[in-house]
Amino acid sequence: MSGLLLMAPALLLLLAVFVWPLLDYAWLSLQAQSVFTGLEQVPVGTLNWQRLLADGRFWQDAWQTLRFAVVSVALELVAGLAIALLLHQRWRGRGVARSLALLPWALPTTVMALGWRWIFNDPYGPINGLLQLLGLATVPFLAAPELAWLATVVADVWKTTPFVALLLLAGLQMIPHDLYEAFALEGGTPWQGLWRITVPLLRPYIFIVLLFRLAQALGVFDLIAVLTGGGPASSTESLAVYAYLNAMRFLDFGYSATVMLGMFLLLLAGAAALLLWRRHTEVRA
Amino acid sequence: MRVSTRAGLVALLLLWSLGPMLWQLYTSLRTPEALLASAGGLGGGWTLANYGAVLSGDPPFWRYLLNSTVVGALSTLLTLALAIPCAYALSRRGGLLRLLVGGGLLAAAVFPYVLLFLALLQVARQLGLANNLLALCLPYAGLQLPLAVLLLQAAFAELPPELEESALLEGFSLWQRLRWILLPLMGPAVVSTGLLVFLFSWNEFPIALTWISRSELLTLAPAMARIAGSSVYTVPYGAFAAATVLGSVPLLALLLLFQRQIVAGLTQGAIKG
Repeated sequence: MSGLLLMAPALLLLLAVFVWPLLDYAWLSLQAQSVFTGLEQVPVGTLNWQRLLADGRFWQDAWQTLRFAVVSVALELVAGLAIALLLHQRWRGRGVARSLALLPWALPTTVMALGWRWIFNDPYGPINGLLQLLGLATVPFLAAPELAWLATVVADVWKTTPFVALLLLAGLQMIPHDLYEAFALEGGTPWQGLWRITVPLLRPYIFIVLLFRLAQALGVFDLIAVLTGGGPASSTESLAVYAYLNAMRFLDFGYSATVMLGMFLLLLAGAAALLLWRRHTEVRA
Repeated sequence: MRVSTRAGLVALLLLWSLGPMLWQLYTSLRTPEALLASAGGLGGGWTLANYGAVLSGDPPFWRYLLNSTVVGALSTLLTLALAIPCAYALSRRGGLLRLLVGGGLLAAAVFPYVLLFLALLQVARQLGLANNLLALCLPYAGLQLPLAVLLLQAAFAELPPELEESALLEGFSLWQRLRWILLPLMGPAVVSTGLLVFLFSWNEFPIALTWISRSELLTLAPAMARIAGSSVYTVPYGAFAAATVLGSVPLLALLLLFQRQIVAGLTQGAIKG
């Protein structure tokens, strides 16, 4: 009984922060509350949900968010594994290198998003400076949709690969070295060892990385809000940015709540798919 | 791997990790004329004026750093005060409740919390918490509780039960057992949990952005966004870069001081959670 008492304050705050908002959105998504209703709540049944299903921008943003998340996380996984393998070897200065490599992850996203905006600046940023030095034309990185999207991926990979590398490094430290020695005695090359020993044994760690990173990347907000503002022409807009704009710029609270709940349901479906996939691969393995 | 190959790869890694930061440092120290004349040139045009401009702004830049530090420290204390008893109770229970709460906490820990901002903003307005710097600690503690409880719960579970049983026989109360027997042994876990909470609160953006509108109360992250938005077409970026550098230095210091604890917390959190 005293156990529950000890947990009560934390659980109450958790309910207030995580559960109450979702209930609030469920209610709000059945109301119209915008400048057209004088910001008063007016029940409208499923009108917001019908609008969501037919809202091209919502589905466009859902696709853009998914594309951003899958490509960024895939790149982070590959780069993170390479960095983890490098940081796992013994060499002088490894500890300091680990600290410095972690810096991008520790910085506030908005700080470095502003930094990247300068790096991609046309024509004064360093990349375009280099292009000019080589006698080439400058590239408007943040003004062309595909390039701006690429810029968001680069900045995200830069920022979060250290996190991925650290988790995989923790996994590498769990693999007994004898395995590699035995494998080498039987004539296996290091490259084969990577695929036959390292990757299979890292699988639980890779799963955790995917869980954390996909959830974060699908909710991407800070980076896009500062680096591109969702532009040009909302080509880099994520669902979270769209929900934010609906509430804070269009002052359409009922619809903003619907967008967020819609995004939540999509995430839930994604999580279920990931769990099923894990069960499937576990049975096979 | 050959030593020279490895040295090359390490250099590449550090260039990739630190290059963008070093570029900000370089930009922040150049005059506007020098930046417009040649990107990457080293001749002439060095200045500290960009830092002067940022530090004498209204409000001065150090104010944002101070605000972030205050919010970060208080959020960390509040989170630990709530998480430690909860984690203790959870670790002393078996069975279904622990499994259920644990699963719920893991789901909450990975949940993209930006989705919650609108409802939290409404609560803040109704309770009159908007534009109250200290009130930010409430959502921050709530958002970080899942990770904190999972981490501390795992640390409690690793302590041998005999330790507490003998203290119980000595007639120690629950508070005494926690304060004098268990917590002293959990130092590393408490420190790494606290650091992760502090980093989150220091860096948090969407909630601070919507709760705080008065510029002297802004924390670092929304202040940077406001700086970014206020003068989009102002080139060159000398003052922006100075702000980026000043915003990064405290975290660089924190990282160099506590690298080991931060890494421990991070990996434990993911693996035990």
